[in-house]
Amino acid sequence: MISIPKKGTPEREELIRLHKECVESMKGVAGFSVLKCGAPGDTTVVSGGVHEHPVLRRVLLRMRGESPKGKLIVICTKIDKEWRIGRLSGIRGVPPVFVNDKVYTDEQEIQHDIFVMRLDELPETAGMPEHFTEGWKHRDDNWPVT
Amino acid sequence: MCAMRLTGYADKFGVHPGDTIKFYVNCDGPSEFKAEVVQMIHGDTNPRGPGFIERPIDTKVTGTYKGRKQIIHGGSYGYVENAPQFHVDSFTLQCWIWPTTPKTHPRYWKHGAQGLVTKWMNGQGYGKGYGLFINEQGCLELRINEHKVTTNVPIRDHAWHFVAASYNAATGEVVLYHEPQVVYALDPVIEPVKATIKTKIIHTPAPVALGAYIDRMDDDPLAKSALPSGVWFAGKYNGKIDSPRICNKALSRFEIEQMKAGAQPGLTERRNSGPTGALSEVIVAAWDFWDGIDTIVAKDNGPYRFDAKLVNCPTRALTGYNWSGQNFDWKYAKKEYGAIHFHDDDVDNARWEVDVEWDVPAEGVKSRFYALKLTTADGDEDYIPFWVVPKIGKEQSKIAVMVPTISYMAYANEHVACNAGGAELFVYRVPIMQHQNMFLAEHREYGGSIYDTHTDGSGICLSSRLRPILSIRPKYDHFLAQAPWQYPADLHLIYWLETMGYEYDVITDEDVTYDGVARLENYNVVITGSHPEHNSGTQLDALHNYTQRGGRLMYMGADAWYWVHSFHPAYDKHGRGVVTEMRRCESGIRTWRAEPGEYYHQGTGELGGMWRFRGRSLYSVAGVGMTNEGFDVSTYYSRTPDSLDPRVAWAFEGITYDEPIGNFGLVGGGCAGLELDIVDVTLGSPPHTLAVATSAGRHTEAYLLVMEDFGFNQQGLDGTTHPRVRGDIAFHETPNGGACFAFSSIAFCGSLPWNNGKNNVSTLVGNVLNRFMMDGPLPPPPADAIKHRGRADYESPAVSSAT
Repeated sequence: MISIPKKGTPEREELIRLHKECVESMKGVAGFSVLKCGAPGDTTVVSGGVHEHPVLRRVLLRMRGESPKGKLIVICTKIDKEWRIGRLSGIRGVPPVFVNDKVYTDEQEIQHDIFVMRLDELPETAGMPEHFTEGWKHRDDNWPVT
Repeated sequence: MCAMRLTGYADKFGVHPGDTIKFYVNCDGPSEFKAEVVQMIHGDTNPRGPGFIERPIDTKVTGTYKGRKQIIHGGSYGYVENAPQFHVDSFTLQCWIWPTTPKTHPRYWKHGAQGLVTKWMNGQGYGKGYGLFINEQGCLELRINEHKVTTNVPIRDHAWHFVAASYNAATGEVVLYHEPQVVYALDPVIEPVKATIKTKIIHTPAPVALGAYIDRMDDDPLAKSALPSGVWFAGKYNGKIDSPRICNKALSRFEIEQMKAGAQPGLTERRNSGPTGALSEVIVAAWDFWDGIDTIVAKDNGPYRFDAKLVNCPTRALTGYNWSGQNFDWKYAKKEYGAIHFHDDDVDNARWEVDVEWDVPAEGVKSRFYALKLTTADGDEDYIPFWVVPKIGKEQSKIAVMVPTISYMAYANEHVACNAGGAELFVYRVPIMQHQNMFLAEHREYGGSIYDTHTDGSGICLSSRLRPILSIRPKYDHFLAQAPWQYPADLHLIYWLETMGYEYDVITDEDVTYDGVARLENYNVVITGSHPEHNSGTQLDALHNYTQRGGRLMYMGADAWYWVHSFHPAYDKHGRGVVTEMRRCESGIRTWRAEPGEYYHQGTGELGGMWRFRGRSLYSVAGVGMTNEGFDVSTYYSRTPDSLDPRVAWAFEGITYDEPIGNFGLVGGGCAGLELDIVDVTLGSPPHTLAVATSAGRHTEAYLLVMEDFGFNQQGLDGTTHPRVRGDIAFHETPNGGACFAFSSIAFCGSLPWNNGKNNVSTLVGNVLNRFMMDGPLPPPPADAIKHRGRADYESPAVSSAT
């Protein structure tokens, strides 16, 4: 596994920049990927992002594979108008809660803020032996899907 | 953000003109709500499309109704009405258990003790009766009135244990047995626990409960939707129970062992109803869950025949404690399938009171998508979709839209965004939860989808339509697509049909399942929805019969004809297609996987899984089959040389050869996306199939080859590398002037409304529909198209590699 780039490193800033340019280009697309549209909001030609930047790709995969407990998620609060960031409980029957008061008026922008929050939250050695827990022995990760 | 205070469902999906449809509404808070029937035209609120469109319909329904809260008493259990034989002094309770959540998190939605075999009511916190439980700490517990005796030994989850408890009223002696079937090296020995309780069991009118206990019985209006009405069941158990018995004597351990055999049906040689003559006289009830697996009754083969009614359809046809691994079909080894798996979030019927009814006029109502629109003065809103379906012989149009209602049921109230941490690895972004998802995340009693796991982590293989299904709603974007999916996505097609001025009927999967080709044969063309993935066998029969007789099929989506579904016959009395069943067996895209020996449906006994693995290839229905899926963004199609063939060139009139087809749209930004089908004549596409357009080479790395198409994990399975990760638009003729056109992408219909229907996807679909809706057989192909064709006409790979 690669290390999650540390705060303040040029590598981390580059990931943030690459992610941001993908997010900006995806505004208006009824879907989303960390890829750069050739023309804004138009998926006819997509490039960059996870297709061309292996560190960005692997960091995103690691973030996406994190356990549901405490995981950040997007909650639509007004249909096609407003979105907020929430956090999953990881407990069946306990709904997500909002993490802050910030209201987004674009459904793509929120992807970027969650990416940055996750960069802050994930330790450099996430997923490596120093983080071994009992949960590793009973599939408490997100990889089995449901 | 406000919670959903209005929810509801109807007693049927499809209603015939002249029949009545009933609506059940939960109005939690507001004193009244307004109801009106609307025609659904477009359900997508995306500002780049035409926006939400509904059309008011003038009916007698329109009006204001008194609101009332109605709740779902979720969670499955069995019950037997109170009877004097249960009013025992001494007793023995015993069963096998395979608990899935013996201990739950304190914040778990139903944290607390779970009932196994009980005749116990909590009352006002002062218990009355007797019963065997798993207590809040996850240990076996016997309760007699307010007294509790526990082993204080945590019960291992996902393992079989034999448990029993006896009580001798004369001596007050209690013995509690917890005997794990699996004992590991470092497991302490669990000795029987003995205690003395000097009390007299207080008997109440409460029913006997299997997998639950009774909290209270009252006339609270909210208890009306319980079964039996007025009885509040609590302590819903998660896990399997096998062979529960109640005896009216404190049995010895040896007698308990004998009693495992339960009741023995009488014969000349064996005239008692127990394992021995003496024990037959102490049996109060001996349930054999292996008997009547395809029913919702738990058979008591003991002398009193206290058959238990099973509520909320727990899962059956599951391996019992004694499964030997020799038989995999329950029908041939029933006694090894004596387990019922109860779940605290099972639901088969919300059982609400009727609030609104519409007597659909016999004449003058078009067959269309409709909904009962519910609103309150405070801004609450919900829609209950339904379809007016003409009676056979009274078709109104040449075109039928076959609404994929089984697939809607399969996806009903899905929780994947929440359960699975967003399943982000396959959606390739952070998912968005809509207010429906937020409501469901809290209200697990509304049940999940067949994509979900139960609250105990086991797969959901049953889905009922007699409950509010919040995913079958307009204005609902699905996390998989960040756009409409299933019902609201199919409204993209409806908007286009309306905008282009076509007259069309709507029929449902249910209708085709039950009526066969009679439901199809009077139409010139049948149009599918965007994702008819889940199908019954008789539905596929009907489609084959239709196209072979000259019918025309327009397959508007992808990943269809994939999973085996059956409707559970025990619910036929409530109408057609009430509960659908599906098992996720050894292959296919599976969000959960059935356990060994649990592949056969409990309702019909048929083998579940993919139709492909029952010898019925998905490619055989409309000429294409699903090979890949990805959920980030979509792309477009390009024409191939096949599109110039005079057999099909008419479909491309008005479209130049080089122009991108559908590089726009309301689903993923293009018409080729989400899940995609291709032509494969080795897997069932007819050899004369023309692949007229393809999206090859344009998909992102989020798109991955389906697992049934490879046998070895390897790199290179994604859209940036694998040749089968693409979609193919395909055409082929069927006998007698019929034909199939497959558009092979779930995102496809999302491009139809673009620019108000003025686009090249619309042109293509219009060309096809105009031809397919013609009366009589389609024009014959050129004479030279009639020729012998092999399936692949290929050189064997073995030969080519040797040369």
